[in-house]
Amino acid sequence: MIRPVAGARFAPGDAVRVRDMDKEGHVRTPDYTKGKPGRIAEILGGFPNPERLAYGGDGLPERPLYKVGFRQADLWHGYGGSPADVLFIDLYEHWLEPREHGGEEKRT
Amino acid sequence: MEKVHDMGGRREKFGPIDRSDHQVEDWERLADAVNIVLNAKGHKTTDEMRRAIESLDEYREMGYYERWAAAAELLVVEKGLLTREEIDERAAELERRWRGA
Amino acid sequence: MSENGHDHPHEEPQHERSPWAARIRAIEELLEERGVFTKEEVEAQVEYMEARTYENGARIVARAWVDPAFKERLLSDTKAAAAELGVDASGTIEFATIENTDEVHNVIVCTLCSCYPRAILGRPPDWYKSFAYRSRVVVEPREVLREFGLVVPENKRVAVHDSSADLRYLVLPQRPEGTEGMGEEELAALVTRDSLIGTDVPHSTREASRV
Repeated sequence: MIRPVAGARFAPGDAVRVRDMDKEGHVRTPDYTKGKPGRIAEILGGFPNPERLAYGGDGLPERPLYKVGFRQADLWHGYGGSPADVLFIDLYEHWLEPREHGGEEKRT
Repeated sequence: MEKVHDMGGRREKFGPIDRSDHQVEDWERLADAVNIVLNAKGHKTTDEMRRAIESLDEYREMGYYERWAAAAELLVVEKGLLTREEIDERAAELERRWRGA
Repeated sequence: MSENGHDHPHEEPQHERSPWAARIRAIEELLEERGVFTKEEVEAQVEYMEARTYENGARIVARAWVDPAFKERLLSDTKAAAAELGVDASGTIEFATIENTDEVHNVIVCTLCSCYPRAILGRPPDWYKSFAYRSRVVVEPREVLREFGLVVPENKRVAVHDSSADLRYLVLPQRPEGTEGMGEEELAALVTRDSLIGTDVPHSTREASRV
């Protein structure tokens, strides 16, 4: 944890899925993660929300930010590297939803 | 809703990566510095800057520091620090001077 | 603005110059005239960025290689560890160091823009900011690394880190074999800029590096 956080919903190891949302305006959740299954690697802390900061707001209340890990094979159809390859990205809590343990990745 | 700046995994073929480094020009250093100083003075934030860059119609056609310069302009005008007309006027004057006209 | 900070309009380069060059200069002049900032403040910021190069990262890595306690401090609080070596990375941006091991090779990207640990390493390379790198390294990292001349063995996993928020990442590469007995300065000279991003690894001699 890099910054303190008040009330994080998720803990390291939790299975999550990135919300598949279309959202107008400035977001820091890339399309390639949307709807994909991942796992919380780390709670990074509470940070102001960039989606509001981008328009002159103060971004408060702070949102918990997580380092989320994904298997590359779950992110990309036909991923050509090693099955052990992974990707990490820093995502805000409101973009994550819990995934049932063993709720497997749709292999579209 | 595909956003122009959201580059991860784009299927468009951007081809081999050009690994050369260009010589940074003075105006590019200036775009960098003006951006940071305006942030430090509280006139804008990094997040506003990103939002401004992402809104540029010619994002794909512009160079990196061109996007910074354009976004800085967008924000100083948006925040009423300057008007586009006075920037136009001063820029034209500078171009004239530089050409030695 | 030329190197010494004075106006030398006749010395502007002859090549095709971006129209944004005049516009950003106009903005600078007008804001200075309005008292929003001073020329000195702008020049100080230019110097701040010029003073930062990847060599800060090389020194940090070399120290981590020779001093295990420093390495632990680096991994737990990169900003504080950098400060120990005189690198001022204070500010609202946070930093983290990701260690390469025998099991994992790490590589950093910002797919959405160009986030990079500038306060430690200075400006990112042009390729880091390119659409090609930003789009490809997340989906085909091994191919991208091969383009850089780096082949990661199949039995080692590749971990890509997309810096999408307020953290900036540095890679702590593995110390090359055959460097036992080298001093910190010698070791730092082996650390390339690209090895701090993850598109390269340090070699036991500078000549063995691609750079």
